[in-house]
Amino acid sequence: MRLLAKIAHLLIPHESNNHKAKLLHNSSLTLLIIGLLLYQGVLSFFPRFSPNILGYAANIPPDEVIRLTNEKRATVGVGPLVINATLSAAAQAKGADMLNKDYWAHVSPDGTQPWYFFTSFGYKYRYAGENLARDFSDPGSAVEAWMVSPSHKENLLSSKYKEIGMAVVEGDMAGVDTTIIVNFFGTSLVDTLPETPIAQAEAAAVPTPLPTSTALLVVTSSPTPIPTTPPTLIEAPVASQTTSSKVLISPFNTTRGISLAVIILLLSIMVIDVVVTLRRKTFRVGGRTLAHLAFLGMILVIVIIASAGEIL
Amino acid sequence: MTDFTKHLSHYVGLIGVLVVGALGIINFNYDKGLQMAIAVGVAGAYITWGIVHHHLHRDLHISVVVEYILIASLGVIVTLSILNW
Repeated sequence: MRLLAKIAHLLIPHESNNHKAKLLHNSSLTLLIIGLLLYQGVLSFFPRFSPNILGYAANIPPDEVIRLTNEKRATVGVGPLVINATLSAAAQAKGADMLNKDYWAHVSPDGTQPWYFFTSFGYKYRYAGENLARDFSDPGSAVEAWMVSPSHKENLLSSKYKEIGMAVVEGDMAGVDTTIIVNFFGTSLVDTLPETPIAQAEAAAVPTPLPTSTALLVVTSSPTPIPTTPPTLIEAPVASQTTSSKVLISPFNTTRGISLAVIILLLSIMVIDVVVTLRRKTFRVGGRTLAHLAFLGMILVIVIIASAGEIL
Repeated sequence: MTDFTKHLSHYVGLIGVLVVGALGIINFNYDKGLQMAIAVGVAGAYITWGIVHHHLHRDLHISVVVEYILIASLGVIVTLSILNW
């Protein structure tokens, strides 16, 4: 009986809680906020002490990403991209570089541009572009995310690109098990050179690969520096095409679960609050419960719609 | 509910801001920075709405302002946590 009274005190407006559910009091909301912040703090620092506990389960077959990409291109009447082994090796090296140097960006912390990987693997390009994605659970959601972003979509559907290189690498990034998709687009310089008689070709200047890339955020306006050091292929674990089994906790899913629980609990209490105060015609000084319902309703929609995964 | 019918225009404005904010966050799901900025902006607008609404209703108290700040903070923390992962 006492337990029921305590629950009612927390959830239902009553004399004991000054006609407002205790969980809606400012003191309770403050505690709730502190709890959520502490949880996020633990989740952020946890990987430092126990790496590879947090992670994202992924099932990304590279061939499927290419198939979906070509499917999207076909819908707008653009020719399919041909898979290029050199580009794929370059993409693999880029993915390995990101994991080894622990960065999520087009340009590495030491300033290495994406184009370095193209040229260092001997791919002389006329056009080059790069799309990145991480933490998606399946190829379809990654491709759809690229399609929503104008700059990524431009890369995906550009008729300037003839070839594609794909790599899916899995490893530790900031203590979290991460799956990165590296998508290199390119058109070889050789493909775009006009056929010239041998005699003329010998006299002609050796063409320098001028990047006219449309890659997002990293449009190069100056010639690509040709690396002076030979390329070193850093081995990176290629993501398994089956769902990773070592992943124990998905930080996104746990955050979403707790967020949903908190928001739904508060919304339910607020609905009860509106009904009870209307019936009892209670007058009290406080925020408008209907306004809180609308605001938290919006947050609930965002939490439900949100999905794991990031593109760059 | 009486307050709702009495200040319908206030609530229409609030819901308009919330819908635009939600659509913005959904639409720009490829730009996490922008999504976070929208979430913070909507929360700020919500607090402002609360203050203006209660001021016009002549029942603005510090505890009411704190309540709006707490609810807005809760929403921002939940949204940023979700977007962060």
